[in-house]
Amino acid sequence: MKKMMAMLLTGVMISSMALPVLAEDEAKHFTIATDTVFKPFEYTDTNGDFVGIDVDILAAIAEDQGFTYDLNSLGWDSAIAACQAKQADGMIAGASITDERKESGWIFSDGYFNATQSMTVKDDSDIAGFEDLEGKTVGVKTGTQGASYAESLKDEYGFEITYFEDSPTMYQAVVGGQVVSCFEDTPIMASSIQDGGLPLKVLEDTANDGAPYGFAVFNEEGQELIDLFNAGLADIVENGTYEEIVAKYLGEDTAAASAAAMKGDAE
Amino acid sequence: MADSNPNIKIHVSHLKKNFGKLEVLKDISLDITEGEVVVIIGPSGSGKSTFLRCMNQLEEVTDGEITVDGNLITDPKVDINKVRERVGMVFQHFNLFNNMNVLRNLMLAPVDLKKADKAQAEKNAMEMLRKVGMEDKAQAYPAQLSGGQKQRVAIARALCMNPDIMLFDEPTSALDPEMVGEVLQVMKQLAADGMTMVIVTHEIGFAREVADRVIFMDGGYIVEQGPPLELINNPKEARTIDFLNKVL
Amino acid sequence: MLRILNSYGALLLRAMGQTLLLALSGLFFACILGMIFGILSVLKNKACNIIAQIFVDVIRGVPMIVLAYFIYFGLPYGLNTLAGMNVTLSALQAGTICLALNCGAYMAEIIRAGIQSVDIGQMEAARSLGLPYWRAMQRVVLPQAIRTMIPSIINQFIITLKDTSILSVIGFPELVNTAKNVVANTFMSFQTWIIVGIMYLIIITILSRLAKMLERRLNRGRF
Repeated sequence: MKKMMAMLLTGVMISSMALPVLAEDEAKHFTIATDTVFKPFEYTDTNGDFVGIDVDILAAIAEDQGFTYDLNSLGWDSAIAACQAKQADGMIAGASITDERKESGWIFSDGYFNATQSMTVKDDSDIAGFEDLEGKTVGVKTGTQGASYAESLKDEYGFEITYFEDSPTMYQAVVGGQVVSCFEDTPIMASSIQDGGLPLKVLEDTANDGAPYGFAVFNEEGQELIDLFNAGLADIVENGTYEEIVAKYLGEDTAAASAAAMKGDAE
Repeated sequence: MADSNPNIKIHVSHLKKNFGKLEVLKDISLDITEGEVVVIIGPSGSGKSTFLRCMNQLEEVTDGEITVDGNLITDPKVDINKVRERVGMVFQHFNLFNNMNVLRNLMLAPVDLKKADKAQAEKNAMEMLRKVGMEDKAQAYPAQLSGGQKQRVAIARALCMNPDIMLFDEPTSALDPEMVGEVLQVMKQLAADGMTMVIVTHEIGFAREVADRVIFMDGGYIVEQGPPLELINNPKEARTIDFLNKVL
Repeated sequence: MLRILNSYGALLLRAMGQTLLLALSGLFFACILGMIFGILSVLKNKACNIIAQIFVDVIRGVPMIVLAYFIYFGLPYGLNTLAGMNVTLSALQAGTICLALNCGAYMAEIIRAGIQSVDIGQMEAARSLGLPYWRAMQRVVLPQAIRTMIPSIINQFIITLKDTSILSVIGFPELVNTAKNVVANTFMSFQTWIIVGIMYLIIITILSRLAKMLERRLNRGRF
């Protein structure tokens, strides 16, 4: 029943933004913000359903911990603002856990997915590594770990960065030659190339060590939700739900590796 | 045709003008000789202003021929700008250039068309302003002048191009009654100087006094024409009689 | 807020410069386009009028964000595949074209309306003195038309300056694009947007004042 309710409420618009009324004897209810398109973490599938790893993990954790929620697909920038404005209690949008974000007072959950970032070029490109980037312009998506990765390499290899607001535009810019390459999470890039039949190739040996994604709340008022999330995450990793979810979107191999890493972290 | 009499300044032959489906001028033929003062009268909508505006091609004619100063201006190959330099026009609403003072209004065309250098043009402009009694307003802008003053400046502006012919399109119709006299006075002086003039007006008294010939137009035709005393005092056509009874 | 200014102040200032650069280059070409199409629409020539009308209708009928994607991606693709050229547009070039087209269409309408607001008698009087059409336009009609256009043109300039923010979608590092980055890095949304809002306000206030001064100078002692 709770699960059904959660499903029903998924994707309800911002108009229902009343602060949750918390009564001791009722299930806790939260409003969670997310991005619009960040495949495969959240996106609208061909049936028009809003799906993705973030969406499924949140649903699994909510069921496990016995809370209900509205999931609002606001977009990246608006999701951040919504948490700040207390129009949302937390956000799950493939957000990397970084020190700079924590310094602003945000609190992150334990990492729920660990992605490496790597560089992707056009399939007929001459560029084989960072050394070939001098004087060129690369594309990144605003706010992603790929952007941070490119920023960390920029001065050393002497290239320029153009910031795009969504992945499709960034990919299009690489295909169209407006930028020579883009930086993106490796599994996401791989699945996008495959799904979209894009004339791009991931340069495997450009991958970094990766950084974990976390569920985030604006300040300590959200600590309760963080605690629920962490407890639920540990449970679904333990009971195999987590691996099932990741496998659904990124295949068995990635899922197994990811689940193993999560279990390792927990110890 | 025009060449047969070297004194003919304007020759109009079977002129027709339509605005869309509306026939404004139906079949007009007319000769105007050098130094002649021709006044055109008629009810509104008779086509008299349109006829005047055809004489410097402000209206393109639909059919027929107009020769001005020996130039067939209805021929698209003729440089109409050259002909217009010699044909001054005075408008009902003055049409002084609002963005220039009086002096620059007068100097614009002579200087721009290289008829004179600046100093010459200014000297000539001041002389024309004296002629119309407006020399003390040389630095004023049009908005600062009364209607009568504007019209006198407009006449001076046309005279600065040293024209052979002057066309007047209801020059006093937009003026307060007390200002009509000053403008007519300037026009009388011009007529006395021997200028060829074609005047569309409702001033029957002026026509009687100054015109060599009065033309009555109605419905796109010239209905009747003749010396002023004859036409005004003794009209023959019923439409002329009817019109004069209304305006006199 | 101070933390953002400390870490990202220089970056935001540079972005403000980029915003200005994009706006000014877009406006420059918009003025040229507006003049051309504005005059085409007042000429006594049906073909010219229709060309101008189509330009204005097409550009006004397409949201600028769509135009931006089309020019940045579609135009080079079209030229390269259809015409066999080898063209890439930088975000600045594409942005300039986009603003010039968009603002140019509105400018054309402003210029058309401005010219048509000048009494037809002004043109006739100039022509009756023997001035050719273009001379009359240049000496008599346009100077008067420009004065009535100026308030609308200033207004359009300000709109265009703000419209540069739309070009953040093609990755041009103007204020909004950069601000989104700062927000993503710091997760400090309000503070960043307040700073950016104030920056826009400063630029636009300065430009409006300059424009007002220009307007007063042009109007001095006339009419």
